[in-house]
Amino acid sequence: MRYIRCNFCGATNLRSRDLCRRCGGKIAINPKSSLQTAFAFLVAAIIFYIPANIYPILETSKFGTPEASTILEGVIAMYKAGDYPVAMIIFIASVLIPILKFIVLFYILFSLWRKKCKKLEQKIWLYHLIEFTGPWSLIDVFVVVILVALIHFKNIAIIPGIGATSFALMVVLTMISALSIDVRVLGEKCER
Amino acid sequence: MKKEKDLLICPRCFTVHKKLPLSKRHEARCQRCNEVLLRGCDTLEWRVLALSISALIFLGLALAFPLVDIDLGGVSSSLNMIDAIGKLWGDGYLFIAIFALFVLVLFPLLLMGTLLIVSIAMILRRKRLARNLLILATTLSHWSMLDIFFVSILVALVKIYEYAQIRFDIAFLALALFVFIEIYLTRYIKLEWYWERWERL
Repeated sequence: MRYIRCNFCGATNLRSRDLCRRCGGKIAINPKSSLQTAFAFLVAAIIFYIPANIYPILETSKFGTPEASTILEGVIAMYKAGDYPVAMIIFIASVLIPILKFIVLFYILFSLWRKKCKKLEQKIWLYHLIEFTGPWSLIDVFVVVILVALIHFKNIAIIPGIGATSFALMVVLTMISALSIDVRVLGEKCER
Repeated sequence: MKKEKDLLICPRCFTVHKKLPLSKRHEARCQRCNEVLLRGCDTLEWRVLALSISALIFLGLALAFPLVDIDLGGVSSSLNMIDAIGKLWGDGYLFIAIFALFVLVLFPLLLMGTLLIVSIAMILRRKRLARNLLILATTLSHWSMLDIFFVSILVALVKIYEYAQIRFDIAFLALALFVFIEIYLTRYIKLEWYWERWERL
């Protein structure tokens, strides 16, 4: 392979170059640093995933009595109330996608580390999928932001919980982890 | 030996392709994985100019006016993005307030402003300026999240529609139009195509 694609602007560059001829960014493949950065952010994200699910994401205070609910409790409450589509959206966006993202990122990082060449195309497809769906997990956090702003009456108020902050941090950390993976490394040792 | 400029590598499967002249309304696809590589457009910078100006106007409206009003047993309240962030800040949720301020207000504004100046710089053939701003726009495009916020509004309203009467305000429409333009400018037209265009200036 004589040519390499710049990760940032997509320009075709000769392998001998250090900097992209178009955007000036670094184009050299550095498997080790990319792996370590991505792994560090992934571990940090998983740590934040725990408080994000244990602590309430929002507290509803009705006539002074606070009532806290975590993400899962919210999903169950909506499912019971009959709002199936919304319960599904929230469940997929804030429970399923984060867990799938952790698994996929671990899988990709593992094959980067062991330089595995099997199912290369599926891995690249999976990578693009989590890169695309990553920020959508923030729906729950934004819903809290909206409810807090909308509902502040005398008897009923909504207060964001610790879970919301942890959840937002978790999503941001997984996004950074995914962004610091260099997909080109996946196919580096796999000549077709 | 071919020049680097005449080659294009597929972002998905990394197959190297030779660029061919592309006429209007035609698209180039990867031979191997069928990914769209480029779409032919002679007036890219003018299109970006027009759409980024409209996007900035819509975003201004969406930020300045309330998005929705709710009425809960005779007491009404409205959702205004700036107020919402201010309230979070006031309640002591500093991280979420700052995060929301950046991804919902500053980055979208900056992204559209940057694309506006990029298009002007490309029309005036100021390559250096256009390049520096394209670098900024490429970085920002990952972190503008108003499309997600838009879906979140709908989800939040479903949560409360049983108790409250909901009225959509004009800013809600403005936000919807902004999201539509933003998706067109940064997802449908990929930022790499702006770079391709820049190269041929």
